[in-house]
Amino acid sequence: MDIAFWIISVITAVGALLAVTLRNLVHCVLSLILFFLGIAAHYFLLRADFIAAVQILIYIGAVVVLILFAIMLTRNVTGTEGPREILGGKWWSGSMTAALIAAILCWAVSVDKAAMVAPAGAQAKSSVLQIGKILIADWVVPFEVMGVLLTAALIGAVVIALEEVRRRR
Amino acid sequence: MSIPLGHYLMLSGLLFAIGLGGALTRKNAIIVLIGIEIMFNAGILNLIAFWHYKEFAVLTAQMFAIFSISIAAAESAIGLALVIAVYRYYKSVDVDEMASLKG
Repeated sequence: MDIAFWIISVITAVGALLAVTLRNLVHCVLSLILFFLGIAAHYFLLRADFIAAVQILIYIGAVVVLILFAIMLTRNVTGTEGPREILGGKWWSGSMTAALIAAILCWAVSVDKAAMVAPAGAQAKSSVLQIGKILIADWVVPFEVMGVLLTAALIGAVVIALEEVRRRR
Repeated sequence: MSIPLGHYLMLSGLLFAIGLGGALTRKNAIIVLIGIEIMFNAGILNLIAFWHYKEFAVLTAQMFAIFSISIAAAESAIGLALVIAVYRYYKSVDVDEMASLKG
């Protein structure tokens, strides 16, 4: 189990790092798929099977396809630019901020001695049946609101993306 | 499993920083959105790790994770539609060129 954690963590971190550093946008998306798969594997390790399935379905099934379509509908997939062309104007302050935040978060976790002790015994257990039951009992109002939100987001996305067609008529 | 909770928290902190770095440094708006997705996932991994180690009898954390994933999906749909709309207007997805509101 321990070795699985380290292998999956390395895969996840490398996928995330490549997804934001590669020049070719399609390669970025392929690395992003690696990252999402790593996160789903972490959820399996943490015994959250349903969340892992949701992660694969929504992120790799829907979000990655959306990003690929956005890349196809815009230009600049070639990846022939130098490192200077892919970075924004204030890239050094952005990377300093990210490094500082990584250092602060790792320091804040490492000073907590209780968090660094391996847990004893008790194992998490989740069943899809239980999740389904509380989703339509205790959490039914957020569930319905989420349906409305997703519908509104879908209509909004179509309206925003179709703006030019509407103007032409 | 004998992995302490702290390792998961450090991993998700690291992933959050990677996503933040990508969102802050890259010029392409689609990579900025990818960075935001990475940050979202780091946060949800935190939630599930805390559920596993602290409150695994209660499934509230899993509900939070499901709703966060749904909101992230809606956010990325809107974000990519905005990228396409901006591309139609500026003929570019370079975030440095979107400076019409700059004072």
